[in-house]
Amino acid sequence: MTYLNISEVTLSFGGLNALSHVNMAIEKGLITSIIGPNGAGKTSMLNCISGFYHPTEGQINYCGKNLTHSSPHEVSSMGIARAFQNLELFRGLSVLDNLLLARHIKLKYNFFEALIFWGKASRVEAENRKFVEEVIDFMELEPYRKSLVGNLSYGVQKKVEVARALTLDPDLLLLDEPMAGMNLEEKEDIVRFIMDIQKERGVTVVLVEHDLGVVMDISDRIHVLDFGQLIGSGTPEEVASNPKVIEAYIGNE
Amino acid sequence: MAANRWLATGNFFITYKEEQRTFLTSLDRLIFSIFLSALFIWPIFFSLSRPYMLVINNILIAVIAVLGLNLVTGFAGLISIGHAAFVGVGAYTVASFSRVLGDSHFLITHMWPLLILAGGTAGAITGAIVGLPSLRLKHLYLAIATLSFQMIFEWVIKFMTFFNQGQTISVGRVTWFTGDIGRNDHYTFWYYVALVLIVLLGFGIRNLFKTRYGRALVAVRDNDRAADAMGMHPGFTKVYAFALSGFFAGVAGAVHAFLYKGAGIESFTLHHSITYLAMAIVGGLGTINGSFWGPAAIEILNLQVEKFSEYAANYLPSAMNLATALRPFTFGLVIVLFLMFEPRGIANWWRIVKSYTKTWPFRY
Repeated sequence: MTYLNISEVTLSFGGLNALSHVNMAIEKGLITSIIGPNGAGKTSMLNCISGFYHPTEGQINYCGKNLTHSSPHEVSSMGIARAFQNLELFRGLSVLDNLLLARHIKLKYNFFEALIFWGKASRVEAENRKFVEEVIDFMELEPYRKSLVGNLSYGVQKKVEVARALTLDPDLLLLDEPMAGMNLEEKEDIVRFIMDIQKERGVTVVLVEHDLGVVMDISDRIHVLDFGQLIGSGTPEEVASNPKVIEAYIGNE
Repeated sequence: MAANRWLATGNFFITYKEEQRTFLTSLDRLIFSIFLSALFIWPIFFSLSRPYMLVINNILIAVIAVLGLNLVTGFAGLISIGHAAFVGVGAYTVASFSRVLGDSHFLITHMWPLLILAGGTAGAITGAIVGLPSLRLKHLYLAIATLSFQMIFEWVIKFMTFFNQGQTISVGRVTWFTGDIGRNDHYTFWYYVALVLIVLLGFGIRNLFKTRYGRALVAVRDNDRAADAMGMHPGFTKVYAFALSGFFAGVAGAVHAFLYKGAGIESFTLHHSITYLAMAIVGGLGTINGSFWGPAAIEILNLQVEKFSEYAANYLPSAMNLATALRPFTFGLVIVLFLMFEPRGIANWWRIVKSYTKTWPFRY
């Protein structure tokens, strides 16, 4: 049984096939990248996994559970977290609150305990805060803890986005272009974070990224999409020497 | 070094539990306790005339209602133009008991706290039902859906004989441990009831916003797509916001019915819904203390406008007509001015004042 199994997934909007008969198997504990030219269906793929889109045909199985028709909040409670490409943070809140929010499903106390906020709710919230502080520590967000997310720079917001996904304490982390629009230094930081997330926390990472240098360096497996079709998959070396992939990226003659 | 608990400066937190406290410094707590006890004690020493006492009671009832409106509109970002109808649901719940059982039945005179709770529950249930369109609708479209609830409510009350077709249904006076609450004590008694309710509900909200039940509301306001990805059910959260807000409105309505010794449709019209919205905006949407500033400001403004128009009528008898136009005019003006110059409301002034005193006794 594979970890995350995507079989024969087709996603069509009217006559347009964003994905057609895509098969992918994502293995536990590895960094898997999905690459491809613009409009190849990479983000659609992530949307299908995280439940924002539902595939027209095909199935997605995660640890033996079928999540083809699950909605995003069901998917996230199964342990799949996601960071968005276009920042989808809670802009009016501080970094700390953004991360606390992400712990929603992990907090076990009922409404009346919350109203009284004595004993259980208070204890759970203190533990919750401790966990969030660990993530802040891990992602090096300490200077921004109390500042409003909307006022932070783009690079930091991207980092908060990854941190928020991490706060869900996921098994599988979907990162949608976490390095888009960043300078070299910030990129190196994020790459280091992604590798740490995989190594220290044992989280499986699925990465959608345009920077091929980064992808080739850190990925264990790569899947290449082009016009909604899977044109190659395997280790970085295999993909780099795949004639179809070369054609899609460079063109022939 | 022992941490300083009195001032914000030098008040270091060692555990996360310390940071959860409602009052972060002892000074805050002291000021709040003094203020609260002053609110409880003053009616013993001063006795205001009945019209003024009524204004104060109106403010308190509006505070309860606006706390609820702030939950749904300020925190959860769902515009509700039917809030007076929810208040009406609470009031008419009490009135229905009175209509069926007679206005001085044991249940009304002795079990009135239960009836207030029943009013709140009825408000919450209606809130949840009215909140159902929020599963599909957003922003202005949802506002129109709540507006239609206001219309349906008014229509039902006006056309059902059970509700006396909108004419006042009387509710009897109540009894406390000290005996029947007579005409003279009536307003003071309900002042205390409303005050106790505000304290309870206010602390309830404060606590709620330290937990996931409060944060979920803010999450669906800021970004319901991301809230979904974080494991919150956005639709459920919105319905829950409406139910919570309906509960507050229902409680306010029940107290209103007891205070006015009856319920009539003229207190729960569209005009009142807009006034509640105005109170929330002037006070500061999305803040808890704004729900206290707003009603006070608007009710006092209302009083001043009334006084001014009486004064003007002494000199210009034809100004009586003008006076009727003056109130909506000032309301409109105040809302527009606040939206233009201080969209975050009076609560923002409070925040600024607090931030000045934060570093005391140091300059920065």
